[in-house]
Amino acid sequence: MDKLNNHPYGELLASYSAGSLPLSQALCISAHLEHCDSCARKLQRLNRVGTELMQQLTPSKASDDLKNRLLDRLDSLEDETPKHESARVDPSIPRCLRQFVDSSYDDLRWKWVSADIRSVELCRDSNGARVELLKIKPGGSAKTHTHLGDEYTVILEGSFSDEAGLYRKGDFIVRDRHDQHTPVATRDRECICLAVTEGPIQFTGPISRLLNPFLRRGYA
Amino acid sequence: MPAMTDQQIPSGKLLALGELMSKVAVDRDKTAFAGLFDHYAPLIRAYSLAREPGSDLVADELVQEVMTRVWLKAAKYNPRLANLNTWIFTLARNCRIDYLRRNSRYLTEIDPTDIFNDMEDEGPGPFQLVQQSRAEESIRAGLEELPREQSEILAKVYLEGKSHQQASDELKLPLGTVKSRVRLALKKLEVLVER
Repeated sequence: MDKLNNHPYGELLASYSAGSLPLSQALCISAHLEHCDSCARKLQRLNRVGTELMQQLTPSKASDDLKNRLLDRLDSLEDETPKHESARVDPSIPRCLRQFVDSSYDDLRWKWVSADIRSVELCRDSNGARVELLKIKPGGSAKTHTHLGDEYTVILEGSFSDEAGLYRKGDFIVRDRHDQHTPVATRDRECICLAVTEGPIQFTGPISRLLNPFLRRGYA
Repeated sequence: MPAMTDQQIPSGKLLALGELMSKVAVDRDKTAFAGLFDHYAPLIRAYSLAREPGSDLVADELVQEVMTRVWLKAAKYNPRLANLNTWIFTLARNCRIDYLRRNSRYLTEIDPTDIFNDMEDEGPGPFQLVQQSRAEESIRAGLEELPREQSEILAKVYLEGKSHQQASDELKLPLGTVKSRVRLALKKLEVLVER
């Protein structure tokens, strides 16, 4: 596995470990972790922080009634954890995304966004954040845009570059409302990203700015 | 016989708990399971009460969820790969995420199972083993050394499950201060350094 250059910063990884991140952001971290041994090791140590903090709590005694009821039920318990594993699933799709992608990215209902971009909305988070996949054609460009909220991106296939650098498969990128950027996919292949947007994207070009009122409606 | 040091007591206890765990996994031993319950249920309740003080029902529900998973997933727990306390912490965290999602005012279709499942079913990879016990001791010692303002924020994030924004609102601190205190604490605990 190649060493990646773009990782979630420590505080974000700690919130993931603590379980206090919105699920949409946790989804991005999880997708990144599958590509990044270095962050996976950091996560192990962060989990130990949570473990030690939990050990330091003053225990609060559980009732015998609770224990006995559970002991009585042990034989009838069944594992109800949902499984999103399909035999046909493309192994390069991160596990955390298989709840949305049955077999391959090609089978999704991609929608036209611009000549260079297709998108498919996977779901919304309870905080209103939009979770989507974006597909940029080889050499294609997303319009220059800013955001009304933070944007989290993980590259799933291919690579792209913007004003700040080149990003490859597995890279994790956060852009906040002050960053204005123009991502361009590299020419050799199309680029697929997981994108979580906390507020609508604002186009900043002179003509595309006219689109903003329509885009904002999606977040009402 | 020399007196046991502070460091030896918890690890000896963990060893005994590990034996109970293996009896649960291999022999499906209910008495051993009751022993695990006696040790972990009060900690799981404390973890739940840290987020929702006074909510005994919620705390009991979390105990039930976590201990149910302990019984069902016992065979998947590999003592050579993950410390039992850490396994329990991740189970408790995952169950709480599930609970909060089910009881949220705003629904989301995102299923956390596959996001946080790694530890539950597989534990860390073998490459982490060597460092584990040393990291454990240094983290425990490091937590005791942290300035109060930093340990307070870590407790908000880890035990109360608060976002940085919520922590900032509750402690009446700027968001940037909350983030930098978390960052400083993590730096002191040396959890983010590459080894």
